[in-house]
Amino acid sequence: MRKLILRHNQAWASLKKKPGFILTVLLTMGITLGALLCVVTLNYLLLVEPLPYPEQDRLFVAEHKLIGPEKETKAIAFTYPGLVHLYKSKEAFEKASIMAYSQDVIVSHPSQPLVNTAYVTPELHQILASPMAMGRMFEASEAMDTNNPVAMLSYNTWKKEFSGSADILEQKINLSGISYRIIGVLAENFVEAELDGIGRETQVWMPWDYNQTGERGRQSFGNISGTLNFLGQLKEGVSQSQAQQLLSPLVSDRWQEGVIEMDFFKGWSVVMLVTPVKEVMLGDSESIAVMLLAGVMGLVLIACANISNLFMARTAEKQRQMAIQAAIGATKKHLFQAMLAETGLLMFMSIILALVLAQIGFFVMQEHFEQILPRVNELSFNPITFGSAVLVTVVFALFFAKLSTWMVDYRSLNTTLQSSGKGSGLQVSKKVRQVLIASQVALATVLVFANFSLLKDAVKTINAPIGFTTTNISTLVLNFASTDFPTQEERLPIMAEIKEKLEALPQVESISQSPSPLDGWGVRALTDVVSKERYTPFLNGVSHTYFGMIKQPLVQGDNFTLVDRQDRNNVMIVNQSFAKQLKADGDVIGMKISVGGPDPFKIIGIVKDIAIPNATPTGSDNADAGVPRVYTPNGLGSQRFMVKVKPGMSVSREQLGKLLSDVDSRYSVYSFDAADDILTKSLFVEITTAVTTAVLASLVFLLAGIGLYGILSYGTQLRRFELGARMAIGATRKHLVSMIISDNTKAVLIGFVGSVVLFALAYIGLSEYIQPFLNWQVLPMIVATIVLIMLVTLFACYWPLRQYINKPAIFSLRGSD
Amino acid sequence: MTVPIIKVQQLDKIFSTDDMLTHALQGIELEIQQGEYISISGPSGCGKSTLLSIMGLLDIPTSGKLYFEGQDVSQLSIEEAAEIRNQKIGFIFQQFNLIDELSVFDNIALPLRYAKRPLRLNIINDKVDYCLNLVGMTSMGQRKPTQLSGGQQQRVAIARALVAEPSILLVDEPTGNLDSRNSDQIMETLELLNMQGTTLCVVTHDIRYAEMAKRKIYLLDGQILGQTSFNDECIP
Repeated sequence: MRKLILRHNQAWASLKKKPGFILTVLLTMGITLGALLCVVTLNYLLLVEPLPYPEQDRLFVAEHKLIGPEKETKAIAFTYPGLVHLYKSKEAFEKASIMAYSQDVIVSHPSQPLVNTAYVTPELHQILASPMAMGRMFEASEAMDTNNPVAMLSYNTWKKEFSGSADILEQKINLSGISYRIIGVLAENFVEAELDGIGRETQVWMPWDYNQTGERGRQSFGNISGTLNFLGQLKEGVSQSQAQQLLSPLVSDRWQEGVIEMDFFKGWSVVMLVTPVKEVMLGDSESIAVMLLAGVMGLVLIACANISNLFMARTAEKQRQMAIQAAIGATKKHLFQAMLAETGLLMFMSIILALVLAQIGFFVMQEHFEQILPRVNELSFNPITFGSAVLVTVVFALFFAKLSTWMVDYRSLNTTLQSSGKGSGLQVSKKVRQVLIASQVALATVLVFANFSLLKDAVKTINAPIGFTTTNISTLVLNFASTDFPTQEERLPIMAEIKEKLEALPQVESISQSPSPLDGWGVRALTDVVSKERYTPFLNGVSHTYFGMIKQPLVQGDNFTLVDRQDRNNVMIVNQSFAKQLKADGDVIGMKISVGGPDPFKIIGIVKDIAIPNATPTGSDNADAGVPRVYTPNGLGSQRFMVKVKPGMSVSREQLGKLLSDVDSRYSVYSFDAADDILTKSLFVEITTAVTTAVLASLVFLLAGIGLYGILSYGTQLRRFELGARMAIGATRKHLVSMIISDNTKAVLIGFVGSVVLFALAYIGLSEYIQPFLNWQVLPMIVATIVLIMLVTLFACYWPLRQYINKPAIFSLRGSD
Repeated sequence: MTVPIIKVQQLDKIFSTDDMLTHALQGIELEIQQGEYISISGPSGCGKSTLLSIMGLLDIPTSGKLYFEGQDVSQLSIEEAAEIRNQKIGFIFQQFNLIDELSVFDNIALPLRYAKRPLRLNIINDKVDYCLNLVGMTSMGQRKPTQLSGGQQQRVAIARALVAEPSILLVDEPTGNLDSRNSDQIMETLELLNMQGTTLCVVTHDIRYAEMAKRKIYLLDGQILGQTSFNDECIP
């Protein structure tokens, strides 16, 4: 033990003379290992760690898959009565719950916050064994058809909106005019099964009976909703496929009965998909996690190569000291132990920094990746993190120590003492140096290229023209806080007064009583009256001022008029993509389209396509394909407004809330968001990807640059006396620079070939991920990557050389100033 | 009177560190004529190698003048100095300074390949073969320096120094890394070259070999303590 302490004291005494070396190792290994620990923990959580629910292997999500007459998938979503039928049948499942997700305003709260809501049957929290901070979860008294208005709050909502009030239980909250009694608060460590999208946290839970589906929707088998979900625990001994076989006919038969009179669904069928809840929750995040791990492993390899170079340079520096130790009896083992003490100390310091950075990484991921990666809220240090930390510390300490002692030719150490410091007694062969350069180039090329490609795709989406303006436009959606809904006639004067008062605000430039192009869309089944061809474009009801406000050009025909809205005329405007779907030449003005009612709609105009980020046409995976869209005139009672403010001005939610309550106290602000913000949010994944890949690409490039510089600089240092000799016999700067470049070119070219091999291997293993990237557009990326790596290499060749070639030759020959 | 190959006037060389100045050479006055054989000797640290480096344009003086064939070369640029070294000066070092990765042939050919005006391949081959023959290494052209003995390596270094037909050979401790038999052979080769007309300036601390020169210069603490010519008495 004393020996060990003594060895480490000596190592520290030796190291602290080289603060630059310590700092470089610490930062390089600390940052990369921090990223590694962070990503390893994430991978463990996503790929290995079971969900925190009892018997999670038996938890499955059932989904309704609607299949069209051509056997194509039309939608994966429930109809309301279909879901209730499945729930009531209890077939295949021991316990099951149904859920409807929505949003609502807590109007009884002073700030009237918009919250995420879920309407569930009591079995959900029983199946998940949800931990409670206080109170109780839903029980039989809140089961279907009991109409018992109670609510549960999430821990964060209780803390944020109710200041963690100790007497929250039995308090009442009002949503949509219904007063709910709070019966419980979920615990902080409750993990929600995120079935309605990654990162969506339900803030208020209410019984199923109060879900916002209207009475017609509750009866209609033709009304498909993406917000309805089913989660259950399979009966013992029932497999996933057995459950699908059992449930499909049960659901299909009932659905066929329900749509028997609807021509549109002729030839359609329904099958049940039963998927493990973990698979639904994780989605394709597993591949993101694996890609992240691959990227970070690449970083670690580059960092490892860089630090290897540094340790080799340090060993070269310590050669004389080791020779003296060998001369007085130190064996090879003694030299290894001394080196291990140094590498161990450095790796220990690096791993402490890495753990700190990993903790920061967890925080950053929880703050920013919540909507991309599931379960990030569960990220924390666990035995896997600490185990990985210990493992990498030991492995890297041993590796660097072994590498350093491997380059020492013990038998040649004595000659070092005899050569009076002149000449190179190092044992790192040219071949080893060339291998290091080639591997550095290969890794850097692969990683820089991969990051460039991801960055390019993300930037392309971010910068893609959207086809309309969002500048100074906000969307206002009204909330009606009463169950006493006004009739259309009652609503008209209220909306007219609200519109008038909004227009009178000094900050407001204009108002359009429409949803924004970024919301309000629904898929609608349409039929060409003549050909009887059926289509499912996106449909939105808009006002006659809509296209003008967002500057979406009308390319043919006419816009809606106020009269169209007042009289609810059956007219329609389509976009170019839908026009082309209807008729190849796109000339569709005057065509009649049925939307299901007795009177068809007449197409009166065609507008240019818009490109809402991440919106793809129904049934298509091609993001570049135009999305077919249809516009109809909305009624004057519409509760959605676009508010265009004057440049440099703004309107507050509070101001609007007061304006609405002055007109009618039953109205409040449901949401008021700047269109720019909605657009940015819809690009969240792309922006995050762009920032992450840009940072990673810069980091990789920096590390690769440092690594290449390190090994080339080290190689040049080793050739100092050779350079001196060449200068002595007349070599000029040009000769020497050309020589160093041409000597390293072979290794760099091998590195490029190596990167092709790495790509080929990656393609074999991950072809489904790589295939979409393979097109002619990657050519400029390849060229840019190669040029960048070549520039770094040229710099790394020249920069270390200049200290020798710009000084008198004797400087190189003597070995000192 | 012919122009001396090298002429040194009031040459000083000072090495400086953070807190100390060291006068390596002080007020050196020296002329080397065509065909001379000069030895420079003195104790370790007296400035022998520094003087040789400055005369060979490997280093620059702190002050004073250095003329090479009548041209002032005291403050040449690095590129100009490289050109003169390549064309007019041959070096032989204690460490041999051969390039391990090149064959003996390529080591010798190297100065010709650095020449400002490139020579034809057959001329290079002829010149290298001639020099290999001159030092008795004809059969060793394709070997690598690491496959040779110390004496053989030094002979290759001599061939390399001669190949560009320089005006002067500057030799720094040529026998420092050799045994006595090889040392004797090298010194005999050098003497023979001088007899054939090559101008030689040899730095050595070995009195025996210093005595072989026709003019002997003795340095002490950076100053010329005295010099003797063949059969002359010491000239203070």
